[in-house]
Amino acid sequence: MADGLSGNLVQLPLRHLLKMLAAGEQTGRLELRSGLELADLFVRAGIVVHATADAAIGEAAVSTALGWMSGSFRFEPGLLPPEISVTAPLEQLLAEGSRQVSERELLRRVIPSPDVVPRLAPTLPGESISISAAEWEVLAQITGEATVGQLARNLGRSDLDAVRAVYSLKMAGLIELSMTAVAPVTVVLAGEPFFHALQAAVAAAMGPLAEIIVDDALSDLGFTRATLPRTEMSAIAERISSEIREPGKRSRFQQAMLAELRSHAA
Amino acid sequence: MERELQQFCDIPHVGGAFVCDNRGEVILSSHPAVLATVAMNAIGREVGRSLLALEASGHGGLRLDYAFDSWTLFARELGEALVFVVCEAGVDVARVRMTMEVTMNAWQNDSRAQKRLAGWRVERKQLVIPPAIDQNGYLAWNFVQSENA
Repeated sequence: MADGLSGNLVQLPLRHLLKMLAAGEQTGRLELRSGLELADLFVRAGIVVHATADAAIGEAAVSTALGWMSGSFRFEPGLLPPEISVTAPLEQLLAEGSRQVSERELLRRVIPSPDVVPRLAPTLPGESISISAAEWEVLAQITGEATVGQLARNLGRSDLDAVRAVYSLKMAGLIELSMTAVAPVTVVLAGEPFFHALQAAVAAAMGPLAEIIVDDALSDLGFTRATLPRTEMSAIAERISSEIREPGKRSRFQQAMLAELRSHAA
Repeated sequence: MERELQQFCDIPHVGGAFVCDNRGEVILSSHPAVLATVAMNAIGREVGRSLLALEASGHGGLRLDYAFDSWTLFARELGEALVFVVCEAGVDVARVRMTMEVTMNAWQNDSRAQKRLAGWRVERKQLVIPPAIDQNGYLAWNFVQSENA
């Protein structure tokens, strides 16, 4: 592993990767990317000792990264952690990661996204109901217009915390959920003509494996040809360009893609 | 070179671009200038010093991206000079970075651009020699050097 290791989280999920690094008593930095989210995990002699994932740090960051079902990773051996933020053993980290993944799945079945709008139920299911102080704080903010995400921001909590409270309130029969107040978000997709141009430019720069290279880059960023938004076209082009070693070919590829991006913007 | 700099302004949310020599003084700018000359000079000096410090500590880099609340500054090392692009929030970062790479590649392969850059050539280390640097900065520079000697 002296030259590093890179790959796809779909083919090699993080939990297996961490077990592999532990078995090999590796030291270094594991860089993870899933869509627009980034995480850095540092292992020392196979033990995870520091982790950051967006705003999260320590064990919470490891749990966040363990929940990523797709994305890419790169391990750089030899790099030491800037600080120690993880003290739990690997088994405990994996167990907590699994628990959080299960919990998120359970929550997702009832609250598919933070865009759901909670409303007070017109009647209560029983004579008396007990709720926690945290749930009351959320209940007191429910207006019938604010989404779960907006409630979280109003209360200075994470989306996950607000979703947990809303889930409990829903299970207690105190609220109903609806998506009606949310305006649909229109995502303009890149479309097939962009992929024709991209694949032609990749083929000119990197040869006959263009189709695979494009699909791998899409997968690394958490997209497919059917889901890539127009706003991410340049990110895919930049990612592929970073893999083109020969400067002249890289520059020609970038010029072709910049012209393509300009044509889409026009 | 002016034409290439001006092309950055065609990218939505890009305020402008400029080039500083290794003393930090602005030598080329898109028109109208994105910032006051004094501000561009200050950016050129501070980023030049950052690059020197990174180089002295064994982390020499060619690109630095500074993300602030409402704007982003992209800086690239061009050997004899530093290239800067100033952007507002919402800019297509990947497009700016690719455009910078294409532009710098074009300048590096253009003999006229190279000749102009050679005419502005100065040692970047002048930025960390008094009186170009204040006492605290000079102490910090000596600390970086001694830590990595």
